[in-house]
Amino acid sequence: MSERASRIHCRIDRPDFSLDIDIGWDERVAVVFGPSGAGKSTLFEIVLGLERCANAHVRIGGATFDDPDAGLHLPTEHRDLGWVPQFPTLFPHLNVAENLDFGRTRAAGRDPAARGRAIEVLEIGGLLDRTVDQLSGGEAQRVAIARALASGPRALLLDEPLAALDLPLRARVLPYLMRVRDQLDLPILYITHDPDEAQLIGEIVVVLDGGRVAATGAPRDVLWSRAVLPLSEALGIENVFEGGVRREHGSPSFVSNAGLRLVLPASLDSDASVRIGLRAEDVVLAADRPGKISARNVLESRVVACDDRDGDVYVTLDAGEKLVAKVTAAAAAQLALAPGSTVYAIVKAQALRRLG
Amino acid sequence: MNGDLSALPGIVALTLGVGAVATAAMLAPAVALGFCLARGEFRGKALVQALVAVPMVLPPVAVGFALLVLLGRNGPLAFIWNSLGIDLVFSWWAAAIAAAVVGFPLLTRACEQAFGEVDERFEQVARSLGLGPMRSFFSVTLPLAKRGVLYGSVLAFTRALGEFGATALVAGIIPGRTETLALGIYSRVQLGDERGALALCAASFAIALAAMLVAEGWLRRSRP
Repeated sequence: MSERASRIHCRIDRPDFSLDIDIGWDERVAVVFGPSGAGKSTLFEIVLGLERCANAHVRIGGATFDDPDAGLHLPTEHRDLGWVPQFPTLFPHLNVAENLDFGRTRAAGRDPAARGRAIEVLEIGGLLDRTVDQLSGGEAQRVAIARALASGPRALLLDEPLAALDLPLRARVLPYLMRVRDQLDLPILYITHDPDEAQLIGEIVVVLDGGRVAATGAPRDVLWSRAVLPLSEALGIENVFEGGVRREHGSPSFVSNAGLRLVLPASLDSDASVRIGLRAEDVVLAADRPGKISARNVLESRVVACDDRDGDVYVTLDAGEKLVAKVTAAAAAQLALAPGSTVYAIVKAQALRRLG
Repeated sequence: MNGDLSALPGIVALTLGVGAVATAAMLAPAVALGFCLARGEFRGKALVQALVAVPMVLPPVAVGFALLVLLGRNGPLAFIWNSLGIDLVFSWWAAAIAAAVVGFPLLTRACEQAFGEVDERFEQVARSLGLGPMRSFFSVTLPLAKRGVLYGSVLAFTRALGEFGATALVAGIIPGRTETLALGIYSRVQLGDERGALALCAASFAIALAAMLVAEGWLRRSRP
């Protein structure tokens, strides 16, 4: 077998945690995908040399960092990696420009133009004089990515760069990530637990679960595959329905085996039996039946249970089939949700996705 | 000489000098040890922590006696002092050493706590950007812990100003040479010079208040 451009091989056995991974790839942009606790961040710490793993073999984009046979274990500062940790860890005692300058010694040796290019690609020229606490969440994340790029790295490691942002902010930062991916010829390793992000960013996806590789391959082959299906709930797809597609009045609709009927977007038309996934946060609840509304699916449902988890309420409904909705505690209180009460569950056709 | 205040400026200057030298001398070791205790996981860490704290809870007189033995002409380290030709006991330096030893636990504890509050992620990011452990410490960890370290320094400094028991034993109460404010108050009370003692008390109070105000100001200004 010829050598892959990138390879991560390591094994950690601890009472509380185990990781057993051997993956190799040639693609430039790889996504590591899986639920929290799957070992994604530990994988990054091994690649960075922060987590001691005696048997680790790490090569990214043709550069070998760890090779137990050769007795090679490069210290973190000599790996020339651009790392964007999960929370924007901008240095709070420095302003934006000083944060960018942090990797200047390395950049001077490797790529003196890196700083200017990072500022340009992430459009942070107007933020340079700001202090870190004057930045919005999206700006801070852009600066964190620029700081990693400004050090002239040989590869970029992004750890859930959008996870700390709310949905509208994600949509604003994502185009910058796409620019980084497309305009810079840099190997990228990208961690996410969001299947949409994985599909959009990755050329290859590695699915991690419980410290092991559950699947590897092109995003469209791996995401929504049977290997990933058991992870659906952990990935935020609380509702999975099995059934078939029928065509009524020209538009496709899905009928689950238990009889739940859902109007599908035209893109999900199919002849075969299908699995349909729906995130709990994409279900809207209303106390009264809504009038004219764009959402295609309004399901009269009975509340079975309400579970308060960290300020969010997971409402289990009987809508002909079990359906889970996630609402804020304030919304649950306003609607006086309680077992036995009747609500209308509203589901946009566009929120439905096909699994498996 | 009852109520004679002419010695006051000299005593204040001497006290501040002893405190400053003591604090400066213990700063680097306390920062290093505090960082090791905050970040390191090693066998015997609890023992080291306990040993560091001991001078704080021992009777200062016991610390003073131990120093007297160690620094003395007949002690186990006498060969050092003799070869260097210096006599530390009952000198200004003995007062500074006593103050440093008694203040060291305070400063080390403050440093340990300050470093413990710095998220290790910052150091890891600095390392990932190409900085070695030392540079990452001086450009990230120490600036982020600055507040706690400065506060600890002021605490140790004020503790040094008030040091009595250890200093009295190892440095004596020699006017103009080792007589700090605390020692001066004691000797004046012994001599029945209540006005003089009161004046030194007032000076102590003013210095302590000023130091704490400076420290609180630092805390407030550098609060993120």
